[in-house]
Amino acid sequence: MDLDSSPRFPLNPRARVAVAMLVSTVALGWAYGLSVSLRHRAAQASHQLATPEDWFDQASPRSAPLVAQGRAAFLSSCAHCHAADATGDEGPDLHGLEASDRYISNTILRGIKGEMPSFKKKLGAADVGKLTAYLRSLSPD
Amino acid sequence: MWPRIHGAAVHFPIALVLLAFAFEAAGYLFPRLAGRLGLGAAGFWAMLAGAAGTVPAVVSGLVMTRGTVLGHDALRRHHLFAWPAFALIMGAAAWRLLHGASQVDRPPLGYVLAVGVAAVLVSAAGYWGGELIIGP
Repeated sequence: MDLDSSPRFPLNPRARVAVAMLVSTVALGWAYGLSVSLRHRAAQASHQLATPEDWFDQASPRSAPLVAQGRAAFLSSCAHCHAADATGDEGPDLHGLEASDRYISNTILRGIKGEMPSFKKKLGAADVGKLTAYLRSLSPD
Repeated sequence: MWPRIHGAAVHFPIALVLLAFAFEAAGYLFPRLAGRLGLGAAGFWAMLAGAAGTVPAVVSGLVMTRGTVLGHDALRRHHLFAWPAFALIMGAAAWRLLHGASQVDRPPLGYVLAVGVAAVLVSAAGYWGGELIIGP
C-alpha cells in the first residue's frame, strides 16, 4: 500500500481544526439527543401498561409521613440493590426518575426481566404507593 | 443484555485510542522509524477505528442507563471522563481523517497531545466503569 496516496483533503490547518471541533460538537449533540429520546420513550412506555389505578394513586399525596414510610419500605426491600441512599449499587441510581408513577409502580410490582425481581407477592398496593412517594421525593442532585 | 454489550463494546475504543497514541507518539519522536514501520498509517487507522468504536459504546451505555447523561457517584465520575473523551476522540479522528495517513507529513505535536489526553480520559472512564461493576 502506498501510504502517501491515502486520502487527503485540501483544507488549511485552521479549517481542519474547525471541522474537528464541529464533529465533536455534533457527536455530543447526537449523544444528548439520544439520551433525551430514550428518557422520553421510557416515560411514554409507562402509559401503555395496564395497571389498576390504586397501584399508583397511593403516591399522589406525597406527604412527609408517606415519604418516611416509603423510605422504611425502601430500606427493607430495595436498599440491598439500589443502596441505602438510592444512589445505586447493583441496581441503578433512583434519583430524579423521569417516569410516571404508573411506570414506577409497574416496575416494582412486575420487575424487569433478567434485571430486577417482581415484588408483587411481597408488597401490597399501599406499600407500592409509599415507595413511589419516596422515590418521587429523591431529587436529581 | 445491554450491560454485557456495553462491557464488550467499550474495550475497542479504549484499546484503539491507546494504540493510536502509542503509534503517533512513536512516529513523532522517531520520524525515520515511522516511515519504515508505517507508524503514521497505524496511528491513522487505529484512531479512525477507535472513533468508530465509540459509537456502539455510547449507544449501549445510554440504552443500558435509559438515557442517563450524568447520574451519581461512580456513574457520574465515569460520565465526567467519558463525555469529554468521546468529544475529543471524534474531533481528533475527524482531524486525522482530513490530514491523511501520509508518512511524510507527520501530525503535529498538538494532535499527538490531543490523542494522549483522549487516551487518558477514555482510560479514566474505563476505570470508573469498572468501579461501577466491581466496586471499590
